[in-house]
Amino acid sequence: MHQIILSIGFGIVTASILSMGAVGFTLQFGVTNLFNLAFGDVMTIAAFVAYVVHNDAGASIWLALAAGGAAGMLSSVLIARLIYLPFMQRGTSQFAMVMVTVAVSIVFNNVLQIFSGTGFYGYALLPQASVHILGMVFTPRELVIIALAVVCMAGLHLLFKYTRIGKAMRATSDDASLARTCGIPTNRVTNFAWLASGLLCGLAGVALAMDLGTFSATTGGSFLLVIVAAAVFGSVGEPYGAMVGALVIGVASELAAVISPDLKDVVAFGLLVVVLLVRPEGLRSGRVQIRGEVTR
Amino acid sequence: MPTSSAESASKGHLLVTGLSAGYGGTPIIEDIDLEVRSGEVATIVGPNGAGKSTLVKALIGVIRPFTGRIELDGDNLAGLRADQICRRSVGYVPQVRDTFPRLSVKENLEMGGFTLSRNLCRQRVDEVLELYPKLAQMADRQGGHLSGGERKMLAVARALMTRPSLVVLDEPTAGLAPKVADELLSEQVTALAKRGVSVLMVEQRAREALSISDHAFVMASGRVVLRDRAATILARPDIGEVFLGRTAGLVN
Repeated sequence: MHQIILSIGFGIVTASILSMGAVGFTLQFGVTNLFNLAFGDVMTIAAFVAYVVHNDAGASIWLALAAGGAAGMLSSVLIARLIYLPFMQRGTSQFAMVMVTVAVSIVFNNVLQIFSGTGFYGYALLPQASVHILGMVFTPRELVIIALAVVCMAGLHLLFKYTRIGKAMRATSDDASLARTCGIPTNRVTNFAWLASGLLCGLAGVALAMDLGTFSATTGGSFLLVIVAAAVFGSVGEPYGAMVGALVIGVASELAAVISPDLKDVVAFGLLVVVLLVRPEGLRSGRVQIRGEVTR
Repeated sequence: MPTSSAESASKGHLLVTGLSAGYGGTPIIEDIDLEVRSGEVATIVGPNGAGKSTLVKALIGVIRPFTGRIELDGDNLAGLRADQICRRSVGYVPQVRDTFPRLSVKENLEMGGFTLSRNLCRQRVDEVLELYPKLAQMADRQGGHLSGGERKMLAVARALMTRPSLVVLDEPTAGLAPKVADELLSEQVTALAKRGVSVLMVEQRAREALSISDHAFVMASGRVVLRDRAATILARPDIGEVFLGRTAGLVN
């Protein structure tokens, strides 16, 4: 029993990181209709930027986290505008666009390896005394990551519900051409979506590297599959679904690790398959329209 | 919409001259001339494939016209993007995907007022909801959970958010039950004109649409083949043929 409660604690930390990643990923798909598989590599870029800021420049890890978030925003917007947009303007099909994102992912991954080598990196962090909460054990840094995820999710909720740009993002996600005829400049809305999702992507990348202890050029890419699982679990394109997906998959996979660490991914993807069997379009199915056209 | 009649009397005059448009360089509609005067209802009818939808898309800026002018009160709209045309006093009610399904009724209206200032938008939402008490009752319901008739009402209300001088409706009764369709035309569309808004609509239910219209344009093969007062067209004996799509006898 004690072990299970401990694992729930680990699960909450994993779910926090996963939620930032999954919501960022799903936001990109929801607004731009682009299934961006280079997402994981942008996470890795952010982790390395934070490494340079913290280990090399000597700034605090929280400043490094912020720098990672900024790096995520900048890289996402640049990739979208410089690489994806020219393809979309040529009318590249949605399936071909997925392959473009795979190509970007592979190129980024290899360029990162040229600079980083195949070695592992870790932030120079001092050990911290752990904090006990309801039988769960966290380090103060983990508590900050959990708080950060909660703040991000609450912030997104407020953005979607109460701000003009947030509502315009939902409108664009619902029907981009209708949004345009309402006078909504959808190109500005998609730029904003790339910025917001890039921020989440960068924060998730640094948080993941902190949580794992060590990371390499392939860390983000290998975590991407779990992110996609959480996003698809909650119906891809649906931010609230992705939050639920992240929580369920994060906690369930850590619980499975009680039996054997090898079961983590088995349980995560097993759950995904079960959800897709019951609701073929994910938890919040029927709420997302898969469109053929990519929104610029 | 509480618009003074003096203001509306001079606005909403649409003059389309020599308009050609299509896709990828191939014209679907050619040399279209249309006129809608202030506060009038004009209806475009014609068989499937006549180019009615293409004409609407060109008018509201979804596709860029090849040649021609689209003048609204002397302001040329041809070549502007959809979001720019929306800012030039043109309201649009799309054919089928007419509302944002995951946005509430109120949020749908707010999107219609996206080009307004925040305060003005809020004020207009209240005004429009006052105009449509039925929508006010379901203000927090999601667009996707409304019936077809309610959705169309919401789409019309949303188009009114910017107080346009011209509203373009693309087959407003498509997919509606006959009774709901008749109500939409005889009540909501005529109410627009009574408020001084010019209406240009494409409609399949030609008889019903013409009976509430001032003028009508019959399209075939990408051209306007007949233009007259709606009542005159309704009274023509060969009218049935036109609406069945057999227009060969009309072209000359």
